[in-house]
Amino acid sequence: MSDLHVLCKIGDVEYVLSTDDVVQMESFVGATKVPGARAEVAGLVQIRGRVVPVLDMRVVFGLPAVAPTIDSRVLVMKHAERTVGLLVDSAREVLRIPAENFQPPPPVVSRQTEGLVKAVVQVRDRLLMLIDSTKVISEEDEHGP
Amino acid sequence: MSDGFEAAEFIAGFIAESQEHLASANGHLLSAEEAVAKGKATPRQVRELFRSLHTIKGLAAMVGIEPIVDVAHAMESVLREADRAAGRLPAGSVELLLNGVRAIEHRVQALAEREPVAAAPSKLVDALNALRQEGGDGPAAALATSLAPELWAKLSPGERGQLVQGITEGRRGVVVEFVPTTARASEGINITSVRERAATVAEIVKVVPQSRQTTGESTGGLSFALIVLTSGSDSALMEATATTPEALTSIALTGLNAAPPVVDEGLPDDAILHRGVVRVEVSRLDEALERLSALVVTQFRITRTAAAMRTQGADVRALYQVIAENGRNLRDLRASIMRARMVSVAELLERIPLIVRGLSRATGKEARLSITTGRAELDKAVAERIFPAVVHLVRNAVDHALELPAERRAAGKPSTGLVSVACQQLSDSQLELTVSDDGRGVDAVAVARRAGAAVPTTDEGLLELLTRPGVSTKAEITTTSGRGVGMDVVKRIAVDELRGALSMRTVKGQGTTFSLRLPLSITIVDAFSFVCGGETFVVPVAMVEEIQEIDLAQTIRGPDRRKAPRDVPDRRRASRATDMIHRRGEAVPVLRLEEILGLVATDDPRRKAIIVRRNGDPFAFTVDRMLGQQEVVVRPIDDQLVRVHGVSGTTDLGDGRPTLVLDLVALGGRLVSDSAGALA
Repeated sequence: MSDLHVLCKIGDVEYVLSTDDVVQMESFVGATKVPGARAEVAGLVQIRGRVVPVLDMRVVFGLPAVAPTIDSRVLVMKHAERTVGLLVDSAREVLRIPAENFQPPPPVVSRQTEGLVKAVVQVRDRLLMLIDSTKVISEEDEHGP
Repeated sequence: MSDGFEAAEFIAGFIAESQEHLASANGHLLSAEEAVAKGKATPRQVRELFRSLHTIKGLAAMVGIEPIVDVAHAMESVLREADRAAGRLPAGSVELLLNGVRAIEHRVQALAEREPVAAAPSKLVDALNALRQEGGDGPAAALATSLAPELWAKLSPGERGQLVQGITEGRRGVVVEFVPTTARASEGINITSVRERAATVAEIVKVVPQSRQTTGESTGGLSFALIVLTSGSDSALMEATATTPEALTSIALTGLNAAPPVVDEGLPDDAILHRGVVRVEVSRLDEALERLSALVVTQFRITRTAAAMRTQGADVRALYQVIAENGRNLRDLRASIMRARMVSVAELLERIPLIVRGLSRATGKEARLSITTGRAELDKAVAERIFPAVVHLVRNAVDHALELPAERRAAGKPSTGLVSVACQQLSDSQLELTVSDDGRGVDAVAVARRAGAAVPTTDEGLLELLTRPGVSTKAEITTTSGRGVGMDVVKRIAVDELRGALSMRTVKGQGTTFSLRLPLSITIVDAFSFVCGGETFVVPVAMVEEIQEIDLAQTIRGPDRRKAPRDVPDRRRASRATDMIHRRGEAVPVLRLEEILGLVATDDPRRKAIIVRRNGDPFAFTVDRMLGQQEVVVRPIDDQLVRVHGVSGTTDLGDGRPTLVLDLVALGGRLVSDSAGALA
């Protein structure tokens, strides 16, 4: 795993994602809604000729969906054969965080986020949560369409 | 569902196709004649002839013209032996084979003129059979190769024949030695993955495990010799098997049994074989389609702009001519790309014989497979989807439908069962694939019992039960099929995913035929675009019966159970008004599409309605307004997050955003058939 991590914001909270998982990052101006898909699914976007489903991370984390802003970003993840975009409120920085700095999350956090927070890390004076993107994506499968 | 085996239609197909094969057989015989006179081999012609006769035989057997089957069979046997003898036809055989072709031609002609078909000419058949006995060497003698004796010993006679024949046919026999190591295993390279990858560039004859001295890195002191036949290069083979040049050993035919000098101008060697053929990744073809769809959108815009200019009084006649010409070019380009995406059905079914062979070994049943595809082609995307369904039907045929040899003999049938896979193009856009067997037929009583339903009286009713999830054609679970997943999946693929049709005809004790009617392509379709609830959608034109104006104020109001008490159990049914319109003597339910899709409703009662039909039942879906009609490139929705009922894919109408392709037929069906999986 590389040390590089994308720092993003979902609501007012900062999270990091490993750049190993992120294939590209795109601005977001809205998605084609898919009637009947689950609430977390923001819709479909076309990114460089590919049609990619987008999960609204706000909804995944229990926040209300909001209209896209100039800061909204889609982090395109590749997971096995699937390509899924994660919509976050902003994603501006890439940080180098050595693997040994990460600590397991407190059990309560781990349980309450259903394992979506894989680790926590202190960077300068900020506490950041590492999102288990594989889990986020596969979490969605288990419920089925 | 329709009767796909209309006899006249089938016989017409047989006549057309056999005439084609007869013509080609004549041609090949004539070109072989000279070489045969000089005692030279003509492997290519022999193979082509064999194929033609084999096809004719299969077709004739299906339409029940026994005299043709008999002649074709005798000819086929001669040719099979010649093929095993490296393409050397016995002296005097060409004349007899030409007579055979003529005999078949006469009988096909009689069939075409609805005259009685004469019996097989027994003298000719006897003479052909005699030719085989004199055939000399026989197939076994021709088998000798440079393969290491310990490997040769591991091959069954069938595998030896396969190897020798493959080399005779101009492919190369190669032994690839694969040594598993821990390092390789950690990269996911093991014998299973190597075998799979090798199978993509070569035909695997056998994989022989060998013990070897344990070295530092190898695991388990084991290596594998993959004996393969390939038309590809060594480097392709090395890449596929993750090996180095030292791991490859060529296999040559040896001794007096080596192939005779081949004089055959037409014989393709490796280089010639591949000339003019380019293997292309499907993704590149998809890309070309994307570009084309962008062009189609541009054309659409130009047309709109020209129309706007005309309304402003500009003279756009010349421009219109250019637009029309461009439109024609786009259609041609579209056709070319479509052609490039087509794969032959014959190629699609290449693996079926292996599957049947394996199954008949595993089940102890004797099965003969006849594959008749002619030149039918399918879009790659359709081919890929339908293949598992075809495999399933073939498995069922061998595993469930065919009886064991003893049982067949007791029933007065030949001990070898027949499984036929045939394919016929029905129109520019439709093709029919059939899988038939001459087995025991589907036991309606047993199926009804397992489904917990009344015994159906029609094949349609029986098929409906069979395609219910969890209902198998056989009571006990076998290793090869019958785990309860089955016909429902076949139906889902053929009907729900590909929008084709599945039908069945079964006769107790005589056999079963499944027919799949399939669209040739699901990639490019003619579609209407429309706005509903403020969003743009498209629907394939083929799905739409009519588009008409309706005035919602004028519709017949059924009970509106939205106003019923909230404790009505089925929330979904209760959430919709049941309006109807009267249309040509039919009551058509009006469904507010925007409501079904959970979108904002418009107030204007004057709306357009798209009328579709499912199983004969009409539905009218209201939409805000129609936008136009154009060809669109449909991309399947492949992620489960967005795979929902009623949406069959997405397309790009030129605004850079995906537009959903709706399957209104499925939506209508869902609303009647069940209340689960509600949309929105």
